[in-house]
Amino acid sequence: MDNLSELFHGFTIAVTVPHLALMAVGVLLGILVGVLPGLGAPNGVSLLLPLTFGMQPVSAIILLSSMYWGALFGGSVTSILFNIPGEPSSVATTFDGYPMARDGRPTTALATAFGSAAFGALVGVILITFLASWVAQVALAFGPAEYFAVYFLAFASFVGMGGAAPVKTVVALAIGFAIAAIGIDTVSGSVRLTMGVDELVKGVNFVVAVMGLFGIGELLVAVEEEFHARAVSSKIEWREVFRTVGRLPRHSVALLRSAAIGCWMGITPGGPTAASFMSYGIARRFSRRGRYFGTGEVEGIISPETADHAAGTSALLPMLSLGIPGSATAAVMMGGLMIWGLNPGPMLFVDQKDFVWGLIASMYVGNIVAVALVLLTVPVFAALMRIPFVIIAPLIVIICVVGAYSVSNSYLDVVMMLGFGIVGYLFKKLFYPLAPLVLAIVIGDKAEDAFRQSMLMSRGSLGIFFANKLVTCLVVAGIALLLLPLVLQLARVWRKPASPNVETQSQEKVVI
Amino acid sequence: MISRRALELATAILTGGFGVAVVVQSLDNGIGWSSAGVDAGTFPFLTGIIIVAGSLYNLARGVVPAATLASVPIAITSIELRRLAGLFVPAAIFVAAIPLLGMYLASAAYVFAVLAIPRHQSLVRSVVTAAATALALYVVFERMFQVSLPHGALAAALGF
Repeated sequence: MDNLSELFHGFTIAVTVPHLALMAVGVLLGILVGVLPGLGAPNGVSLLLPLTFGMQPVSAIILLSSMYWGALFGGSVTSILFNIPGEPSSVATTFDGYPMARDGRPTTALATAFGSAAFGALVGVILITFLASWVAQVALAFGPAEYFAVYFLAFASFVGMGGAAPVKTVVALAIGFAIAAIGIDTVSGSVRLTMGVDELVKGVNFVVAVMGLFGIGELLVAVEEEFHARAVSSKIEWREVFRTVGRLPRHSVALLRSAAIGCWMGITPGGPTAASFMSYGIARRFSRRGRYFGTGEVEGIISPETADHAAGTSALLPMLSLGIPGSATAAVMMGGLMIWGLNPGPMLFVDQKDFVWGLIASMYVGNIVAVALVLLTVPVFAALMRIPFVIIAPLIVIICVVGAYSVSNSYLDVVMMLGFGIVGYLFKKLFYPLAPLVLAIVIGDKAEDAFRQSMLMSRGSLGIFFANKLVTCLVVAGIALLLLPLVLQLARVWRKPASPNVETQSQEKVVI
Repeated sequence: MISRRALELATAILTGGFGVAVVVQSLDNGIGWSSAGVDAGTFPFLTGIIIVAGSLYNLARGVVPAATLASVPIAITSIELRRLAGLFVPAAIFVAAIPLLGMYLASAAYVFAVLAIPRHQSLVRSVVTAAATALALYVVFERMFQVSLPHGALAAALGF
């Protein structure tokens, strides 16, 4: 197995003292942003981004990805102990995690969550280990037309499977594309869409957008409801931890099913949030104890947690091998890759073997570090939640302001960040999805370039997108996904005329 | 109080307005086909059209109350609105004050104001938190990472 020897080489890179230290730092910072309600993985990672410019790319990505794992775990801690999801993707964990903790079994709830989360992450990493280099090899043969078709498929799958209202997803995507186009056009060199503001020639950096959309926007949503952190006991009984993890294999069906859902939603850009909700819903329908869900069922914790982490991990697969991130956080990391001078996509597996396999190996180690650290630090971070929100909120505002400013030392960025905050709040409030917006800002230029290059090759004929089997399949699959919501809508009308729109409502909760 | 419908309409108008601006601006770059291939304005023009069309659809959905809208008539209650303003207005003033006061003074004043004026914290604790925030920013950015944050017009006038 070629992959395994590469992986062992990766371990020699990842398991060094400085890299293990970086993992610990990353995981701890990740748990911190995961626990704090106004900060999430996307803006945590973008905050850290400027500090990585002087690092080796491998060290930088290990730091950022460890932060991602930490944030995924941290979000579950507050969901279970406080009934406050620290991350959108851990909302589904509150349904059964908090009742179980409230009934006096916080250790069981936490250990179940962490154990199944680690399992989900492990499945995701194994998938990456064996699939990523193969996908990259296939992608090496891609021309611009194929690339555009893959981008198109990625965006279409947001519309078809993202869970939000399809037209709202389309609007969010298109706004992202328009924002990506602001500034100097890479092909013709002409200045576009500056709206009369000369400083906009430099374009809109995705970090500025992420700070506003996820930072200020989430803070505004959070401040609406006053937090009452009614904590249940946050003491960890170690014997119970091991007993709980030992009992996990009894739920192997739920574990495997949730991991499969998570991996699927992570690779296609459905994202961890949609994955955890979907997994929870399916578990409730198929579990023998489905009617007890919501009262502290073990499988009600296992299902969302496994899917959440499997999706979060496997979202890095398309980012590495195709240059298309599967989640908002992966999009931010990919922006980092481009800043470090790497070209995300299949060439990484040829030119930057150390980077790719170092990262993959670090994902195995990083998740182990994350489980250990999160168990050790639960009491510390639980205490953090008792700091009043009125103190935390202005600090998060300042962090976002400084983060937006330090991207390119521009005051305009800070003002734009605040504007993005309002947009983020409105979008969250009205269930417009934010992940496609960020994704389009990061890879909008690349998608446009691929489109224009294919047009140049075909002298303006759209026939190039149907020129061979592969590209035709991709485009047709994309179109099918775009039309999927329409077909479902029609089918619903056909079957039950004027039925109440319950489905849409339950879906609305799933939006990131 | 703001109804869900009003919020939907406002957002659709906002996104639609952005779409119109994108369409108008992209016309300057030329749309269509030229000797150099697809013109620079074509792609933004298309996205602008999609934004406008999608916003019009969302606008129509907002005007005609669907089942989902009717079930959540009120999006933001007046209490929530007050809380939102309580967070956002000071934050906006803070951002507006940065060019004059600089990042350090402005953030210290901001923290002090939101803690002390609504009497969330005692005066002494507010002062300590404010000073600690500014100091932490200075140590982390100016010293550790050598990122220069804006010092402000006031500091420049005083000769710093």
